Amino acid sequence: MARKNDILQGTLALLVLRTLAARGKMHGYAITTHIQQVSADLLRVEEGSLYPALHRMEQDGWVRAEWGVSEKNREARFYSLTAKGRKQLAQEQETWARLTEGVERVMRYV
Amino acid sequence: MAWYSRIWNVVRGERVHRDIDRELRFHVRERTDEFRAAGMSAEEAGRQARIQLGNPVVQMERTRDMDVAAWLDATFRNVRLALRSLAKTPGFTATVVLTLALGIGANSAVFSAIDAVLLRPLPFPDSDQLMLLEQKRPKVSQTFVAPVRLMDWGRLNSTFQGISGYYTEDASEISGELPEKVKRAFVAPRFLEVLGVPPALGRGFRPEEEHFGGSNAVLISDRFWRRRFQADPGVLEKRLRFGPGSFAITGVMPASFRFPDRDVDLWFTSPMDGPFGQARQLTWFNVIGRLKPGATLAQARENMSAVQTDLGRQFPQTDAELTVDIQPLKEVTVGGVRESLWVVFGSVSLLLLIACTNIAALLLARATQRQQEISVRYSLGASRASVVAQLLTETFVLALSGAVLGLLVAAGTSGVFRTLAKSLPRLEEIGLDWRIVLYTLVSAIAVTLWCGLIPSIQATRRSLTSSLAHGGRALVSSRNPLQWLLVGVQVALAVTLLSGAGLLLRSFRELGRVSPGFEPSHVLTLHISTNWAEAGPEMRPRRDRIIEALSAVPGVESAATSMAPPGVPFGFQAELKVAEGRAETDPKILTDSRFVTSGYFATMQIPLLTGEPCRDAGPPQVLVNRSFANTYFPGAEAVGRHLVPPFPAARPAEIRGIVGDAREQGLNKTPAPMVYFCGADAQPGTFFLIRTQGDPAAMTETVRRKIREIEPSRAVFDIMPLEEHLSDAFAENRMRTVLLSFFAITAVSLACVGLYGTLSYLVNVRRREVGLRLALGALRGQIVRQFLSQGLAVAMLAALAGLGLSLVFTRLLAGMLYGVSPTDPLTLTAVILLTLAVATVASLIPAIRAALVEPMQVLRDE
Repeated sequence: MARKNDILQGTLALLVLRTLAARGKMHGYAITTHIQQVSADLLRVEEGSLYPALHRMEQDGWVRAEWGVSEKNREARFYSLTAKGRKQLAQEQETWARLTEGVERVMRYV
Repeated sequence: MAWYSRIWNVVRGERVHRDIDRELRFHVRERTDEFRAAGMSAEEAGRQARIQLGNPVVQMERTRDMDVAAWLDATFRNVRLALRSLAKTPGFTATVVLTLALGIGANSAVFSAIDAVLLRPLPFPDSDQLMLLEQKRPKVSQTFVAPVRLMDWGRLNSTFQGISGYYTEDASEISGELPEKVKRAFVAPRFLEVLGVPPALGRGFRPEEEHFGGSNAVLISDRFWRRRFQADPGVLEKRLRFGPGSFAITGVMPASFRFPDRDVDLWFTSPMDGPFGQARQLTWFNVIGRLKPGATLAQARENMSAVQTDLGRQFPQTDAELTVDIQPLKEVTVGGVRESLWVVFGSVSLLLLIACTNIAALLLARATQRQQEISVRYSLGASRASVVAQLLTETFVLALSGAVLGLLVAAGTSGVFRTLAKSLPRLEEIGLDWRIVLYTLVSAIAVTLWCGLIPSIQATRRSLTSSLAHGGRALVSSRNPLQWLLVGVQVALAVTLLSGAGLLLRSFRELGRVSPGFEPSHVLTLHISTNWAEAGPEMRPRRDRIIEALSAVPGVESAATSMAPPGVPFGFQAELKVAEGRAETDPKILTDSRFVTSGYFATMQIPLLTGEPCRDAGPPQVLVNRSFANTYFPGAEAVGRHLVPPFPAARPAEIRGIVGDAREQGLNKTPAPMVYFCGADAQPGTFFLIRTQGDPAAMTETVRRKIREIEPSRAVFDIMPLEEHLSDAFAENRMRTVLLSFFAITAVSLACVGLYGTLSYLVNVRRREVGLRLALGALRGQIVRQFLSQGLAVAMLAALAGLGLSLVFTRLLAGMLYGVSPTDPLTLTAVILLTLAVATVASLIPAIRAALVEPMQVLRDE
């Protein structure tokens, strides 16, 4: 079943990195709501992919994770960007820019 | 950072699991709150939140996969799985592990000998630079070197860092209560420098101790230090008494230093500038040298040849005809046993191969039984590689357990070489160390691949659908060509080993049947400590007194001395001239010589054929054997002629008589021309031979006491029956015969167990069919015949293949056989018959079991 506002494959990491770059330390749930809100509900993070992606990024050293306490005083795992993640973000942003430009050009071609 | 934290996460799996669970739970709670805020009931909100996250198990797994190293994780899982499934079949597991423990253990044990004796350098620094130098004279086989020539070589060469030498003698050390026999070496200057080993305690010899008339000094062995001085560090202030002299102990050699041989306990200096050392024709030194770094053996040979040619010009009388022979010291030390050890190693590797094949067949059967399980794994999405990996892991767990047990086996059997081959060079260096452990681990990996690869590839080949569709009913092809092939390989290899062992055994028996020409039983041999300084004419009365006293002991028939016991090789060849002259065309007389006293022939029961016995005193006399007379004086009278040895100032010796041919140089050597010089001095190393009426060993104490009475300050040692010497001379032969026979028997047993197992398995699989046929009226005899012929057909084909292999393998043994050809039809036939007989028994049991199937029972089971 294809949901219409699933996130394009491969862009989840970009969105997560960007979110963390903008908002600093966040837990997984906050990341999904942030992406949803900022995209005005256009994008929706598939929850099944979020945690594997976060853990992979952690293992790759792009993000750092630590346990903390949420606003509602619940135990949560907080993620923040590392220097390596910042570099990765710049790279993925560039790739994304090129991709959208390319797609745009093809679409505009008559 | 990623890889090690992933590996670390595999190990702390529980913790990772819990953390992910906490994290996901937090997410669900937050989402639930959100839904409730939107107006859902608490229950519905929770349900929706969980649905949105997806299957919790999958979610957990997928997240966890990111945290761990997949390969390691899979390996861990496979190992756990393997342990569990092996624990479920303890009988199978124990069989395989024990078989492998034996196979790997025996292999590692033999490898430890190969490694210590053949592969490792000698225990000296840069030992490949060490050479043995011999002087070769065209007419004499003796290769010792005169001290003055040793010094010349050392001074004139340009390829050696240093040249030194040594000789040994057995002596009695008399500082203690009883004279103690010790073997001592006399060494030329720079001995320790050339070998590159300093004393562990104290110092080496000083120059003033190496000159004639200098102060007396001695180095002692670690063993002697511990035995005599209880490892007292103050030993350096003590002195040792030898004969009239006393010697200051200057140092203790390290325990690993066993040169010239393992029995030497003391090293003395041998002054090269003494009056004795100046005669160029008197030779007694073994010479060793250390090559300069970068110098090759060929360069050294060329260089020494030039040096000796110069010496020959300078001293034409003594040096002109000499040449120098140089061999690597290691080659001289271990070259003789190389072939034997490799043959034993080859055999034990064949045995391991058989054991592996056997296990491969077992694993194949096991994998076939697990078809069901494998199909299920496939249908759950496992890849073929992951299933193969799992099966191989199981094999590796088996192989590793076998290897660990095998190391224990190897440790336990390392004494075998000490018992079987006392004369093996470098025996003390054999032991287990990390190299052997590493070798064993590599064996385990090789075993895994050989045993496990075929079954796991075969078992994972069946298509998914066919197996699942057949459900619980194992419909295995009854032809199983692969399984029979594995059985065939085992039988063929076993036949090969058995042929080798059979030939060696036959050869050993032939040796035992040889009539040696002397009577080895009821003879006691011993040494009495003597030193080189007293060996001379003045020793003769002493020697005669000892022989006389021994002959008078009740129970003793006669006594004599010889430089070497009969039947044990003794290399002393010399070219003799006939004083009466011979024709130019006659062959040169180049014969073996033995140096004996006149009682030797009576003691050894070598018959005098013509002429008279020789006497020890008076002008030199010899006896010759029949081969000598026939070879050099065919049709002419040998008795009465005079032989002249090629030594300076040698006196002609009269041939007094002709004695029967005896296998003096070894029971496996046909008698060659031999000259017995009578009245030999009792010099160091001389054997006393005593013929006794009863058991020679029982006379040991009596004889020892008698010698003590007349020679209280001399040590008596190495008292043993002559037959033991003969048996020791065959130690290496016996070692390989015993080991090969043991391996061959094990191999045949394994192969037949393999045959039995495979056939039993087939019978099991086909029980239904057999039951059906019996119900339809088949005779039980037919069933037996059918299974029996199936087993025997494979055994026979394999035996034929094995025969072909044997012809290659036994050719390697050709040099070790006596009295039997490598293709001996009797042995090979016996091997085939024995194999087939055992194979018949192994096939008959399952065949009969098949015939005893109760049709009703089987049909009801279905």
